[in-house]
Amino acid sequence: MAYPYVSDREVRVLSKHFGDPMQRRIDTYVERGGYGALKKALGMAPGEVVDVVKASGLRGRGGAGFPTGVKWSFMPKDTGKPHYLICNADESEPGTFKDRELIRWDPHQLIEGCLIGAHAIGAQHVYIYCRGEFFETTQVLAKALEDAYAKGYVGKDVLGSGKDIDVTVHLGAGAYICGEETGLMNSLEGRRGQPRVKPPFPAAVGAFGMPSTINNVETLSAIPHIVTNGGDWYRQWGSEKSPGTKLFCVSGHVNKPGNYELPLGFPLIELIEDVCGGMRDGNALKAVIPGGSSVPIINAEETRACMLDYEGCVAVGTMLGCASVIVMDETTDIVKQVRRMVDFYAHESCGQCTPCREGSAWTGKMMKRIEDGRGTEEDLDTLMEVTQQMVGTTICVLSDSVAAPVQSSIKKFRDEYLALIRRGERVGAA
Amino acid sequence: MSDVPFKNPGWAGNTGEFELSEDQVRGKDFVGERPKHAGHASGSATMPYMLPEKNPDAPLFEGEYQERFEKILTRYPDKRAALLPALGLAQELRGYVSPESMDRVAELLDLSPAYVRGVATFYTMYNKRPVGRYLVQVCTNISCNLCGADEVFDAFLSQTDTEAGETSSDGNFTVIEAECLAGCGFPTCVQINSEYFENVTPDEVPKILEHLKSRKTG
Amino acid sequence: MSDMVKLTIDGHEVEVPKGTTILEAAKRVGTEVPHYCYHPGMSSPAMCRLCLVEVEGAPKPMPSCVTTVAEGQVVNTQSDNALGHRRGVLEFYLVNHPLDCPICDMSGECHLQDYVHEEGRDHGRGREPKRIFGRDDFGGDVLFYGDRCVMCTRCVRFMNEVEQDARLTVVERGSKSVIDTFFEEGLEGTYWHGNIVDVCPVGALVSKDFLHKARAWDLEHTPSICPGCSQGCNIELHTRDNLVQRLKPRENLDVNGWWMCDYGRMDYEWMNTGGRIEAPLVRRNDATTAVAWKDALSELLDRARSASTGNVKAVASPLASNEDLAALKALVDALGGGEIVFRGRRAEDEVVLKGFPSLARRRDLTPNSKGARLIGAERVGSDDGAGGLDAVASHDGVVIVLGDALLDQDEGFAANASLFIYAGQTAAPASSGAHFVLPTTTFAEQEGTFTNIDGRVQRFWAGLQPPGMARPAWLVLGALAAELGDASGAVRTAADAFQAYVARVSAFEGLTYEDIGTRGAVVNETVSLTGDRA
Repeated sequence: MAYPYVSDREVRVLSKHFGDPMQRRIDTYVERGGYGALKKALGMAPGEVVDVVKASGLRGRGGAGFPTGVKWSFMPKDTGKPHYLICNADESEPGTFKDRELIRWDPHQLIEGCLIGAHAIGAQHVYIYCRGEFFETTQVLAKALEDAYAKGYVGKDVLGSGKDIDVTVHLGAGAYICGEETGLMNSLEGRRGQPRVKPPFPAAVGAFGMPSTINNVETLSAIPHIVTNGGDWYRQWGSEKSPGTKLFCVSGHVNKPGNYELPLGFPLIELIEDVCGGMRDGNALKAVIPGGSSVPIINAEETRACMLDYEGCVAVGTMLGCASVIVMDETTDIVKQVRRMVDFYAHESCGQCTPCREGSAWTGKMMKRIEDGRGTEEDLDTLMEVTQQMVGTTICVLSDSVAAPVQSSIKKFRDEYLALIRRGERVGAA
Repeated sequence: MSDVPFKNPGWAGNTGEFELSEDQVRGKDFVGERPKHAGHASGSATMPYMLPEKNPDAPLFEGEYQERFEKILTRYPDKRAALLPALGLAQELRGYVSPESMDRVAELLDLSPAYVRGVATFYTMYNKRPVGRYLVQVCTNISCNLCGADEVFDAFLSQTDTEAGETSSDGNFTVIEAECLAGCGFPTCVQINSEYFENVTPDEVPKILEHLKSRKTG
Repeated sequence: MSDMVKLTIDGHEVEVPKGTTILEAAKRVGTEVPHYCYHPGMSSPAMCRLCLVEVEGAPKPMPSCVTTVAEGQVVNTQSDNALGHRRGVLEFYLVNHPLDCPICDMSGECHLQDYVHEEGRDHGRGREPKRIFGRDDFGGDVLFYGDRCVMCTRCVRFMNEVEQDARLTVVERGSKSVIDTFFEEGLEGTYWHGNIVDVCPVGALVSKDFLHKARAWDLEHTPSICPGCSQGCNIELHTRDNLVQRLKPRENLDVNGWWMCDYGRMDYEWMNTGGRIEAPLVRRNDATTAVAWKDALSELLDRARSASTGNVKAVASPLASNEDLAALKALVDALGGGEIVFRGRRAEDEVVLKGFPSLARRRDLTPNSKGARLIGAERVGSDDGAGGLDAVASHDGVVIVLGDALLDQDEGFAANASLFIYAGQTAAPASSGAHFVLPTTTFAEQEGTFTNIDGRVQRFWAGLQPPGMARPAWLVLGALAAELGDASGAVRTAADAFQAYVARVSAFEGLTYEDIGTRGAVVNETVSLTGDRA
């Protein structure tokens, strides 16, 4: 079995069954030990489950890297109100394609993680919010869920525990911003998916005004393994601050793009050269975006120094984000690609906050003018300043995400901008 | 990429090392045919809504669809939350979300029509006007773009002889640019109606279009 | 734990109740933090990002409209940091703004103009083609200029939260976001939509009625009370060239919040109507002659002294001020007493503003029937404000009409009266038999007070010059009463008139103009929660 590429450097915990269509079937899943973690968790007090997750050091895999156990512990106790667990499956960050694979190849792993999470935070209902485009993927999940209901893993009196936990799969309708947790909650409630002002935080006032926790698909998919094997077991991989394994989504100019599950702290350059079979056509590496399009671009030199964990990325001036490694070779037209990313953010801006609504579109227009050879050197200063005005001044961080590629590319690839501005020369084909 | 046999995890054109059928990759062998009333209520909000055959005047929320709509309502603490699935239901039948559909949905959910319009226009997947039998959405975002998505998009346009957003004269195709579809490792990723087609290159575009034309459903 | 929080804003220490926002707290030290989306009468989405201030220790600038105060907090609204953030945000507002101030109705009272002038960059850096939305007719009195919109969504929130008829929404997203209704549905049929023009901080929503009528800087603003119903909404008369150009609500949380209804807002043309009686008229031998006030009054007094006293029948108007009505009462009493009746239009139903339910367009479509009743007048006639005057019309004693235009009455009205005094604004067939026609001012032309449905006495000021020789009724009737022996003697100001005539009516006892101020004061009478409200 080889999905579609595997590497012997991988530690396949969550992705072990990628490419195996039998894993979707509940009998197979159970034969392979599935729902054992749920049984175990239901035998533990919710606080104990939270403690195990805390001990594992698991950090949220959606991008922000907040410790999951700590997040769970924020949920109030004995409120008498409904609590909700929401699984964020609105995977939309350019460069990221792991959650879709986790859902469609191993749906029960996610469902089990959701149920354990619900038990831990006292939720009676779990919503799995899938992006609208994930229609096929969601069908697999819905079918698996139906099977899990039939077998008594979900619904009334889960496995005789006396606990009622419902799970509902919800489909979005096309909006990147619904990946932001409060935007997602608004969308789930049938509103425009605009992020909410925090505070109040979701643990206090979340979905439907009730205490809620939102976790990413990959985070929840790791939970059954952690509950089964314990926190220390999970800590055998990765570093003190970034323990465990992580799915790295590699795309762009490598020979073998795909999802690779590696211990955190893996050297980025080895991921490209070894795991992914090196650069396409033997071209030279120019730049990498290591965490999805919202994080700063790094150049080849920084790439060589970058270790893939939360701290290692910060050390080279970027972020791990959701570990979506976009690799660009020497033929890449950086200005065009940055303009494309800015257009994306302008298209996806919800339009609430003025700096983002106006700034993202304005930045896009300036970038386009430069790309078309009608820019001036002064425009580069304006771009730097205008995008700086978009950092930290809005409700969510989509606005900051416009600044990241623009500012980092102007700093690191100024020559390419100048070549366009001064001589109308473009780099590369792509 | 010539030394890499693997091609399309989404489409079974060439599954290479994968050795799986298209249905196995897509999970269709597992899911089978889902009933129009959606089966178990937990999945009632996930049903298909991009079908080739559409009827702009189809009655809404009747029969099995009514059943599905009622199941959806049972899954949320308030009616408003059923708005996105309800709009999806309307689009599934009619192919787009018309003002009349918005009005009807508003009435069913005790919302104002203006509110429903505000929500419907926020999301890109609700078509605001009729589209072809197949809505072809080509990702041109960064990962696909690095690998030639612009050429794939142009190929779809030239092969269907349309401009972006326009429906081909035979009513079969509407081609638009899409933002990242989360298929970045398999560029270029193209969503056609409800299905993903991955690793699409310009050369393959005519084959895909032929494949679609010859298809009865989906 | 104390319910008060101490913090420092721009170097000033201030103590405010827990839960107060920084923006509200800043007002206490006299600082108005620029803002668009925040409005005290609605929820705060914190989306305009203009009220950003620096809170020491916070990693990012904070939106002061939703950030609540904390003990020991140090807030800088004017630091380089805070100003820098706001300058940046203001630049974004101008990127697509059409800069059409010369033809914009909001010019001169526009918050975008103000803030950019105060805190914006000297020159914008936008060079790109601007986004164009164009103009849209929202129905009712509202025109929408999409290009001027700052997307604060106050209008959407007003319709959702206050009127609670969600006709407006934001359509599309990102830089394509635009305010719209449900296609052609518009605002037609809503009752409070004029307020969205008021809450719009820029010229995006403008009144069709006011369109290109006047420049903001040419308008005089006079505090007043809406005469459209008995709610007594606090308003401003906006006048130019001695004409009321528009009415705007004036904040008073005890009465109308920040709002007024569309009916009241549009019911101002009558204040500008021509065809007014401009001089006192005296009927001598079947001929009517215009005379000077002095002559009219002395002739009237002669006649009054010789007329039979007692059994006076007076018709008052609920559009007359408390002072006018009380002066009428003083005159009636000076003439030996009698009865006062009044008529006024009443609607079938109240129209309540759902999000501010103490405010409604009341059934009683006149501003002062409560005052008239407290002074001793009795309502007669139908809900159309007609009929009920048969006894007056055929009376053979003294008849005094104040402010009732007698439109439903015939020429022979009060033909048998020993003395018929008509004090009002316009002549009618029924007034043609009057022995004396005295031109009086409307509420818009004089100072005075009305008493609203809840017994709240509220002041209004003169926004227009009276036409010709028209004078306030309290002045004219009061002078006559004084000459006929009223103990108060002649009064010269509205404040004196209130003290002299109104404050001696038991319900108003003890009230002074100072108590009333600009917010109003409630009469002594126990307010009935049922009876009067009908």
